[in-house]
Amino acid sequence: MTSAGLDVLGASVRPRQAHRGPRAGREGARGLWFVLPFIAVLTLFMIVPLGYAMYTSLFTTKLIGGTVFSGLANYGQVLSSPDFWDGARRVGVFAVIQVPVTIGLAAFFAAIFDLGVARFGRFFRVVFFIPFAIPAVVGALMWSFLLLPQLGPYTRLAAALGFHDTDYFSSGLILPTIIVIVIWEWTGYNMTILYTALKSIPRDVVEAAVIDGATFSRVILRVKLPMIRPAVVMLVFINLVGALQLFTEPSILSAFQPQAVSYSFTPALYVYNTSIGSGEYNLGAAAAVVLGLVIGAISAGSLAWRRRKGDLA
Amino acid sequence: MTTAPPGTERLARADGRAERRKAAAARRRDRRAAELANVVPVRLYGLRRGTVTLLTLCAALFALFILAPLAWLVVNATKTQANVYSSFGFWFARPFVLFHNLSLLTQSMSGSGVYLQWMGNTALYAAAGAGGATVLCALAGYGFARYRFRGSNALFYLTLATLLVPITAVALPLYLVYAKVGLINSVWGMVLPSMVSPVGVYLMRTYIAASVPRDLIAAARIDGAGEGTVFVRVAVPLMVPGLVTVFLLNVVAVWNNYFLPLIIFTRSSSYPLTVGLALLAQGAGTGSKGGLVPVLIAGGLMTVIPVVLLFVLLQRYFRADLLRGSTTG
Repeated sequence: MTSAGLDVLGASVRPRQAHRGPRAGREGARGLWFVLPFIAVLTLFMIVPLGYAMYTSLFTTKLIGGTVFSGLANYGQVLSSPDFWDGARRVGVFAVIQVPVTIGLAAFFAAIFDLGVARFGRFFRVVFFIPFAIPAVVGALMWSFLLLPQLGPYTRLAAALGFHDTDYFSSGLILPTIIVIVIWEWTGYNMTILYTALKSIPRDVVEAAVIDGATFSRVILRVKLPMIRPAVVMLVFINLVGALQLFTEPSILSAFQPQAVSYSFTPALYVYNTSIGSGEYNLGAAAAVVLGLVIGAISAGSLAWRRRKGDLA
Repeated sequence: MTTAPPGTERLARADGRAERRKAAAARRRDRRAAELANVVPVRLYGLRRGTVTLLTLCAALFALFILAPLAWLVVNATKTQANVYSSFGFWFARPFVLFHNLSLLTQSMSGSGVYLQWMGNTALYAAAGAGGATVLCALAGYGFARYRFRGSNALFYLTLATLLVPITAVALPLYLVYAKVGLINSVWGMVLPSMVSPVGVYLMRTYIAASVPRDLIAAARIDGAGEGTVFVRVAVPLMVPGLVTVFLLNVVAVWNNYFLPLIIFTRSSSYPLTVGLALLAQGAGTGSKGGLVPVLIAGGLMTVIPVVLLFVLLQRYFRADLLRGSTTG
């Protein structure tokens, strides 16, 4: 409609001109002004603090003698601390179980809702997504009460089924308990992302496969899942990063069962307890930098992966 | 005489309203049809009858897993502390003390601060943080999607590099900086970092690339509009669904944030709900005498209701088709 006047010049001229416009010339430079406010806040409230934490981590504060430059001594102390590694190993185990289970469940439900092979899909999608909106603090609180030793409804249920004296907060069960809570919290979010990705696959692709005789499971596994692989890989990274910063759930559970969660239960708890808890800010900063670097490496990995796949265009 | 007889105008207005309603209904129908057109009919897969039932059952079981804790929260907000522990968890018990529990939320519980104030703080932090984040994301997303300038790639990669840097990794660094510049216990110390949303920038960039046609921008420029006018008058109206999504994501992120406020606030009067509830939990969990448990549960319920309502009402902003469409055919 709007191109009617330009048709004399040939329809193909219009889009090319439109594309050249914003790339070059004076207008292009103005783009910086749109981006600048965000970059300014990002710099002041993320990049500068991270840099300052790195700087702080190179010093040691002593009761006598004040703050002195100590090089990488804090890093040495963090990395040789069995407590830190204990927490690191724990979130490793946590991630190895939680990430695949969460994404697997999410993919399963996203696929069946996308294909419309389960009834009430719309309703279920809303329900599954609800925990995303619930603060992890409240989520962990509810589960703490549900799993209280002896008194919790789920503990009683377990007793009724023959599992007497189940202590979900015991050292053997605390990690599975947290995994269940996190799965409860995050499956719906993962499902929504995957569902959105699945929905954006054009109908013709699926139709062609069905007409060629592909069965239901083949459509899901061979046609749909490969097409949403970028979304799945992105979710693996997001979940992994989430797992590494595990903090809220264990710290809330520890309110109910203080002995269940040690001060270095996860790296994030170690950071918090060494710095805010015991006032060893330089050591805490070093631990925070280590944690940040690991997460940064994963972040960079995801970036490299997406770049290779040409997903960043 | 040009005056129309009284009532004509009203009639005309009623006519217009009816028409608008009809148009809205037609739009809904079209959207429905478009939704259906994009789904391959189930019968084509040649599934056995039982499969649909079985899969529905799986979904129902998972829904039960999701909803049970929430049902527990609602039911137990109506109970006394003794009944929370002694009565059946998924059904009500006498006495029904919901309103008494809710009234406790306006009082200071054993010196740990007032719930209502925490709620006000949370609302302030969420509104200001998410509002600011949405504005920054709209601007930056537009800048990245529709301009090429020196360093645009570098800045975009910087944004992507921070995409997955979690607030947990930044919280202690922020505390260290705040301690230097006196931002501990400051509202700004909470609100400004909450405005940093690299994910939102990425989302808006993708959204704008798909839904704000370059031709439209070029046409507006030819008509003599400045860059700011083009953004406000042409781009923003087309970005609204994406902006709502970004706003929602950020409201939830701030509303649910625990680690940052835990670290940067030392005064309980500045706490948001999450930190306040955790403080109550500490009291309720260790010394079970204080009668804090009902406050904790009722407080948890009141914390959950606003965000869940927001989400259920605005669920459609998480629909796939909103992230496409509106490009000229």
